[in-house]
Amino acid sequence: MFPGIDGFHWTATHVVFLSLFFAIVVTILTTIVSAVWRTTRDFRTSRAIELCWKSDFAELPESDRRCRHELAGRVISRTCDNAFDCRHCEKYSQFAVLPATGLATDLGLNYPDDRLYHRGHTWVKAAEDGTFTIGLDELADHLIGNPDSIKMPAIGAELEINQTAWRMTKNENEIQVRAPLEGTVVSVGGPNEGWFLKIQPRLDPRDPTTLRHLLRGPEVHGWLSRELERLQLQLRAPNTPAALADGGVLMPGLMDAVPGADWNTVLADTFLEA
Amino acid sequence: MASAIVTDSRLTDRKWIARGEERTSLSRFLLWLTPWAAVLAVGIYAAGLCLYYGLNQTNMDNRFAFGLWIFLDLGIIALGAGAFFTGFLVYILKRAELRPILNTAVVVGFICYSGAVAILMIDVGQPLRAWFTFWHPNTHSMLTEVTFCISCYLLVLSLEYIPILLRNRQLRKVPSFLVFEHQLHKLVPVLAGVGTLLSFFHQGSLGGLYGVLRGRPFAFREGFFIWPSTFFLFILSAIASGPSFLMLVTATVEKVTGKRLVPPELFRRLGFISGILLAIYVAAKSIDTLIWLNITSPAVGFAPWQYYIHKPFGTPILFAEIVLLGLLPAFLLTYRKTAARRGWLLSAAALACAGILLNRFVLTVQTLAVPTLPFDEFLQYTPSWQEVASFGGVIAYGVIVYSLSYRYLPLFAAPKGENTHVSGD
Repeated sequence: MFPGIDGFHWTATHVVFLSLFFAIVVTILTTIVSAVWRTTRDFRTSRAIELCWKSDFAELPESDRRCRHELAGRVISRTCDNAFDCRHCEKYSQFAVLPATGLATDLGLNYPDDRLYHRGHTWVKAAEDGTFTIGLDELADHLIGNPDSIKMPAIGAELEINQTAWRMTKNENEIQVRAPLEGTVVSVGGPNEGWFLKIQPRLDPRDPTTLRHLLRGPEVHGWLSRELERLQLQLRAPNTPAALADGGVLMPGLMDAVPGADWNTVLADTFLEA
Repeated sequence: MASAIVTDSRLTDRKWIARGEERTSLSRFLLWLTPWAAVLAVGIYAAGLCLYYGLNQTNMDNRFAFGLWIFLDLGIIALGAGAFFTGFLVYILKRAELRPILNTAVVVGFICYSGAVAILMIDVGQPLRAWFTFWHPNTHSMLTEVTFCISCYLLVLSLEYIPILLRNRQLRKVPSFLVFEHQLHKLVPVLAGVGTLLSFFHQGSLGGLYGVLRGRPFAFREGFFIWPSTFFLFILSAIASGPSFLMLVTATVEKVTGKRLVPPELFRRLGFISGILLAIYVAAKSIDTLIWLNITSPAVGFAPWQYYIHKPFGTPILFAEIVLLGLLPAFLLTYRKTAARRGWLLSAAALACAGILLNRFVLTVQTLAVPTLPFDEFLQYTPSWQEVASFGGVIAYGVIVYSLSYRYLPLFAAPKGENTHVSGD
């Protein structure tokens, strides 16, 4: 230690004091290196995307984290604590057998029963060739209308569930749409085609748990009615008390029709952005 | 055109604020920052003068070598102890109820320690030779321990601050930042343990520094092994005042923003912890004072009254330090009826913090001012404008960093938990 310093002699005090000090320095540096190494490892093993989603999920407001069984009226109140991963939810089977009690009303939007829905406002439809078609649901479509630009993934790209599947911009707002399913991109569409992606799923589509996390049946109605309620509150005129409209349907091209709204928050809520 | 730019700025600013959080308008926020930025600018200018021309810019001299800056250092390091102590309580003792205040504790600690290190750099001078202290350490000096521990602890606080910083709404969109934040956050208990060890030693050594001043009987103390009693008193007083200071900071932010940021129960909990520790400190300080006045000081030739004949350092200061700003707040913080009322609780916390600041002030200034030799006389010291401006600069720096952190970072994010009620339950 301290080479080149004239007159320096080791004593027991030096050894104890400097050992303690450098042990602390080594601990701090090891902590930093360990965090960097773990981060690199997570990216190598694709765990990083799962971590990002779980972190984003934890930041969502509680109103956005309602359990699908609450949406369907099977339970009175339940907050999802499993990042919407119904595939590995221990409580799923326990609640799924309960009868749905939600009252279905016409919400003025078309959500066909042959599709499954992701909370990030995308739909998934199985094709006969074993691929899945993915598109934006009607509420998202009514909000955005025609996007200013779209950045789609390349054909052959691997998508992880809840990863950003494609990006759009509208009126200088960036929109990140989450992938409802993991798999390989086999075809890319757009708003004019009525769908955005076709993917070859990574998991076996015949396995009932593969698509379990996607909403269906009465859950869709419960979820959608809450989303519309949120939207009405967020798009109300500034400095007016909260009030719900008693009728009417969602008009298309809302971002153009109400340019002064807080679209940053609305889009974040709609597309599950933290 | 101008209004479009203003609107764009607002929209851009809004994107950096956590979703669902309401913050004041950008223009009002900038208005709030402007005077602080001016104070900081003057402080930086004064610090520049001190670094360029040397300590002749101050009113310190060879006899009065510790002044306003060292008082500031000791004061903010003591008040910043809430950071390590809260980390210790949450991560080591698993007191999860204090978690809502953990982020703000880290930011306050970071501000206090970075401010202290900045002012020490000006005081010591020649920052380009700062590494000398690590390569040529005087291992018999308490100050070496202080330097080593504070440097390391500032690094620890920076590492604890990074995860909070990376949770900013825009920064978290970068996946590598978010994953690094996640991994670093998992290792924070290690940092909390290291921080506790470092803080224990440097808080103690700052006190020990005075206790070993054999030529200054006002501060000199006997003690345990190599540590004078002031070593332990500084640790106790720091961990007693840290939670109180956190409470004051949070209450001030609540007042300014008009929001309830933490549950009232948390204030009572912090107050109770602070009160109990303060009571132990007051008891230890009283015993220490009695031993010092009756044994230590007479043994080196000083009668106790000799310390208190120079105004304004009369006995009322001793009374204020131990009773008015020690025993009284300890009682108010722990007594159930006063602790249940926010006004009493915060007043007591303010008294506790004032008491610790007074203790640091007295130990710094009175120690040097009181004559120790027959031909000596009572010295008076008034800080120069450069010292005051640097002092103000550090305060302004703290306000600016905290304001920015509050606006753009999740300082008081409520923990999200499971909430399940099954139909028919």
